[in-house]
Amino acid sequence: MNNELLKARLNLCAVLRNLEDLPELDADAADMIRTWRLAVCFSVHGGPAATLEFSEGRCRYYAACPPHPDVKLFFLSPSHLNGMFAGDANPVPLKGLSKLRFLKHEFIPLTRRLEYFLRPAPETLAESAGLRAHALLTLLTGVFSVPHLAALDSIAAEIAAATPCGSLQFVVDSEGPIAHLMYDGDRVEAQKGPLDRPSALMWFADWPSAYRVLSGRLDAFTAAGKGLLRLDGTIPLIDNTCRIMDRAAGYLA
Amino acid sequence: MQTFEYLQSRALFDRACEVIPGGIYGHFSPAPFGQTAAFPFFAARAEGARFQDVDGNEFIDYMCAYGLTILGYAYRAVDDAFKKQLASADAASIASPKMIELAELLVERVAGAGWAFFAKNGADVTAYAVTIARAATGRRKIVAIRGGYHGTHPWMQGPGHHGVTDDELRHCIRIPWNDFAALERVVDEHGSDIAGFIASPYHHPTFQDSVLPAEGYWRNVETLLRKHGIVFILDDVRCGFRLHRGGSNERYGFHPDLICFCKALANGYPIAALVGTDALRTMTASVFHTGSYWFSAAPMAAAIATLQELDRLDAPHRLEAIGRKLNDGLIRIAKSHGFNLRVTGEPCMAYYRITDDDSQMLHQRWCAECTRRGAYFTPHHNWFVSAAHSDAELQRTWDIADDAFRALKKTL
Repeated sequence: MNNELLKARLNLCAVLRNLEDLPELDADAADMIRTWRLAVCFSVHGGPAATLEFSEGRCRYYAACPPHPDVKLFFLSPSHLNGMFAGDANPVPLKGLSKLRFLKHEFIPLTRRLEYFLRPAPETLAESAGLRAHALLTLLTGVFSVPHLAALDSIAAEIAAATPCGSLQFVVDSEGPIAHLMYDGDRVEAQKGPLDRPSALMWFADWPSAYRVLSGRLDAFTAAGKGLLRLDGTIPLIDNTCRIMDRAAGYLA
Repeated sequence: MQTFEYLQSRALFDRACEVIPGGIYGHFSPAPFGQTAAFPFFAARAEGARFQDVDGNEFIDYMCAYGLTILGYAYRAVDDAFKKQLASADAASIASPKMIELAELLVERVAGAGWAFFAKNGADVTAYAVTIARAATGRRKIVAIRGGYHGTHPWMQGPGHHGVTDDELRHCIRIPWNDFAALERVVDEHGSDIAGFIASPYHHPTFQDSVLPAEGYWRNVETLLRKHGIVFILDDVRCGFRLHRGGSNERYGFHPDLICFCKALANGYPIAALVGTDALRTMTASVFHTGSYWFSAAPMAAAIATLQELDRLDAPHRLEAIGRKLNDGLIRIAKSHGFNLRVTGEPCMAYYRITDDDSQMLHQRWCAECTRRGAYFTPHHNWFVSAAHSDAELQRTWDIADDAFRALKKTL
């Protein structure tokens, strides 16, 4: 198992992909991207690739590089990409040299807005919108981490292999289905949105409850007993997923 | 039919959460029940086949304290024996003769047993059995069944459980139940390093149907283990004395080297036992294992009284008859409402699952509807009947199940 590769996949495919949702959660981020019309590709030698496409005030994430991106950022290795996320390295711009100023002065501030919500100050969490944004982005990071952990973390792979086939839907009562995972025996797939007939439900009463459980401030046993969390359906799907998700912290800390 | 509310249970849970991690820990946690709101959390009293919660709701109990009460709650002969011993000597600075009396009783009834050793919980004796196997063979590895449960010691957990290191799992090999070829492969590959094989008499995992041993499985397993000098450990913690007076291996016709008992042994009083063959006596004496309360004499007296009562009632046959009657009735009622209730495992401790919904949400909701009407059904663990479950209680249970199915259908 290659920890740097897994970390790179988590950084790109679970953390950075949250830029897709950020503008809907944060007015500042929405303002920043309102006029952007470009595709920024991240390409890692021996690692993952991803594209963020900005247009019409929205951001879309794709798990590949298109043939002709406006900006192509190349990384010599997964650890090179991880270095950028840690603030210790810079990418090699292969395309879009004219956009270097954009990257430095506009794209980087956008990623700082993401960090603002993913690593929030207490005052951010004190406001319901800030808490909701943090909880949602944390939940999505966790959900989209699972396929990569199941593929590249030896313990998570063992857990995934022992997980019954089926689907797990994450629901927040006030908003409905947020995201889901599908286990088919060989691989795990993560998606946003609802499922027709999930095999299991992890239901949170509200965002504050989701935040407390996801941040480890409230254990699932207490939350379930108090009615703040409900685990329905194929419980091993939920139990195993939580054990896989818990492993993400070891890579993203 | 009236449904229950749990105001006092919930108030107590809030109080518990202030001072107890998780509020209610371990297998008593209601978290995996799905419809948690339908379940009581705290009991006030129990007698016979019933318990009452702190809100005054009464339930016919099909968990029997997760298998502890085989004769029923507050069983006079056992309670009297416990109290009598308590009045003379329970915890003392030297051992009680009751310990010898109980060991003699177990050696007499368990075929092949030469000795007995006492502790408190199932995991005390499964862990001891594994240690003895390693000491006796000088080998490291333990083979167990995938999905089998032998306690919460780190070596018996699955990967990724909090606080469990890779090193602790390294020497435990999991194979599928009833797959003799898989055992042969593992023995071929690791035979010279396999100390022991541990399994329940039949496969009764949580969240899955129970599976009885395939024809010839145990005979083949025993032969293979003997050939390779691997210690054969039977975890009879959950089934012990429910299926046969001498241990569940008698039911299925095989002979382990070590047998772990607990749960039903003293009808709810805290005691576990490991019994073993003469061949392992000396090594067992050499493997130091003890606990603060392992010499308490009152639970030993309760165990003696329990074993005597089980014989008097011919308990295994009686429990099987009660279980079959309960199951036939529930299956019939389910069918009358258009549902298929699948019942697996031994009738007196069967696993139940409504198969009309793969997600098990329907089953969780039915168990919830039954529970809030007074039949305590948990959705993902095998149930238990006790000798105290009467025909009247079975009839009441069927009435509840019928009403619960009716309520369930209205929501579909």
